[in-house]
Amino acid sequence: MADAVIEVKDLKREYVSTKGLFQRSKRVVKAVDGVSFCVNRGEIFGLLGQNGAGKTTTVKMLTTLLAPTAGVCRVLGHDCFGEEKHIRSRINFIFGGEFGVYRRLSARDNLRYFAHLYLLDRKVSEVRIEELLALTDLADRADDLAETYSKGMIQRLQIARGLINDPEILFMDEPTVGLDPVGARMLRDIIRRLKEQGRTVLLTTHYLKEAEELCDHMVIVNHGRVAVAGTPAEIRGHHGSLEDAYLALVGGEEDASADD
Amino acid sequence: MLRLMTETAKLQMKQSFARPMFRFCLIANPFLNTILLYEMFLGAGEEDFFSYVVLGAGLMGLWSCICFSSAGDINRERYMGTLALVFAAPSSFQAVIYGKIIGNTLLSLFSFVVSLLTAALLFRVPVTVHAPGFFAVAFLAAVVSFIAISSVIACLLTLSRKTELYMNLLELPLALLCGFVFPVEMLPKPLQLCSALLSPTHAARLLRMSVTASPDRALFLRELAVLCVLTLLYLSGAVLLYKRIDKRVRIRATLDVA
Ligand SMILES: Nc1ncnc2c1ncn2[C@@H]1O[C@H](COP(=O)(O)OP(=O)(O)OP(=O)(O)O)[C@@H](O)[C@H]1O
Ligand SMILES: [Mg+2]
Repeated sequence: MADAVIEVKDLKREYVSTKGLFQRSKRVVKAVDGVSFCVNRGEIFGLLGQNGAGKTTTVKMLTTLLAPTAGVCRVLGHDCFGEEKHIRSRINFIFGGEFGVYRRLSARDNLRYFAHLYLLDRKVSEVRIEELLALTDLADRADDLAETYSKGMIQRLQIARGLINDPEILFMDEPTVGLDPVGARMLRDIIRRLKEQGRTVLLTTHYLKEAEELCDHMVIVNHGRVAVAGTPAEIRGHHGSLEDAYLALVGGEEDASADD
Repeated sequence: MLRLMTETAKLQMKQSFARPMFRFCLIANPFLNTILLYEMFLGAGEEDFFSYVVLGAGLMGLWSCICFSSAGDINRERYMGTLALVFAAPSSFQAVIYGKIIGNTLLSLFSFVVSLLTAALLFRVPVTVHAPGFFAVAFLAAVVSFIAISSVIACLLTLSRKTELYMNLLELPLALLCGFVFPVEMLPKPLQLCSALLSPTHAARLLRMSVTASPDRALFLRELAVLCVLTLLYLSGAVLLYKRIDKRVRIRATLDVA
């Protein structure tokens, strides 16, 4: 049995929101409602599903940003809530989109600051920052302020940031959103290279082709529950493509994400 | 750890200064307040310009900067999506918060310079400090106490998404309660009790004591002791709060807006 670096069992997360000033009404959203899966060291794992299916919520719990309501949520053998000290320096995460960088700093200064946050040795980090800037093709703009970057450049800066501590596990939530074809290819190459180095990658994406191409295993979640799990080939099954299989599983119910 | 704090402080100063709103708080605000206060005190026949005009405007400027930056920055980082990143980094979140607060406070001290220059150049207010030794001690104690109170506020604001509202609620009442621009003794008795519990009240008093004349040593030391005790209480309160908040933010999901 390979060594499981991510263990999720019957994981649940509810969001409670109150509305109204006087007649406070409570509303509970079951974002993740009993999800289970395991990820082995060195594999690329895909978390797929409709908008609002609970992917980001799951990733947040795994990255020690959110407390689970119930269930097991363990990374590298430690509980994500309570034992986060043993996890944080060994993982990193990238959320897609234009957020998560200091816009008034240059790419290099952003990376430097995050190197400090990860308590890296200065000599080591200076070398790594240059490597990462080259890797993400930002070297020639490295000293311009991030607010002058395009969406894709910010996204690439995020990728560089996510690699700053040379993580054992990298979590990526829709990392290819907003990337041009060259950037998306670059990211796929980075992900494959991480795998060659024995790193584990958990990624969510809406691009089924991408998932099929990259992932060793995947789960498709729907309404906070696992609809199906397996290798891309297993999930494809008798369907012509992964997309057909996906649509057969979650399609047809158009109200899937209409719960707010 | 220390390096992280200094780096954060530096980053904070850079970022804050780049914001027009902060520059307004830092420069225009004390400048305008000094003029306003000067005219008010002049109209009232008050002569104690340095104590209440210069120090008052300076303290108000310092406080607004702290309110709108130390507190506002948490919200800003929440919207930028960096709050979650900072929180999930292996370094102590508290160290980062302190770094931010220290950076902001140091930068905000510039508002004293502005009000001092305004008063001296525009109104020819004599700006001599009668007891420089006492003043230096008072100033240092004041800075530390402001850092302490900001850290409590910053901790609490991490918990809520309505940061901006609270920030605005805090700004003026505290300036009034702490007697930045008039003696606390003019307030109704119950409010004076509140004032006594707020460390900036004592900081302001210490500063004023050392400006007007050579202060009574015993009185000064007593005030200083009160300030130190309050500051220590705030700091330990912040440490305790932080421990709880570290868990609460993850239960209540207030780290980001997504
Ligand atoms: N902070 C929050 N407060 C209340 N409800 C939330 C909060 N965050 C997420 N939700 C709800 O939880 C559910 C799952 O959201 P989540 O972000 O995990 O979905 P997702 O699978 O990442 O979707 P997408 O593909 O759109 O990114 C949604 O119904 C969403 O409205
Ligand atoms: Mg999502």
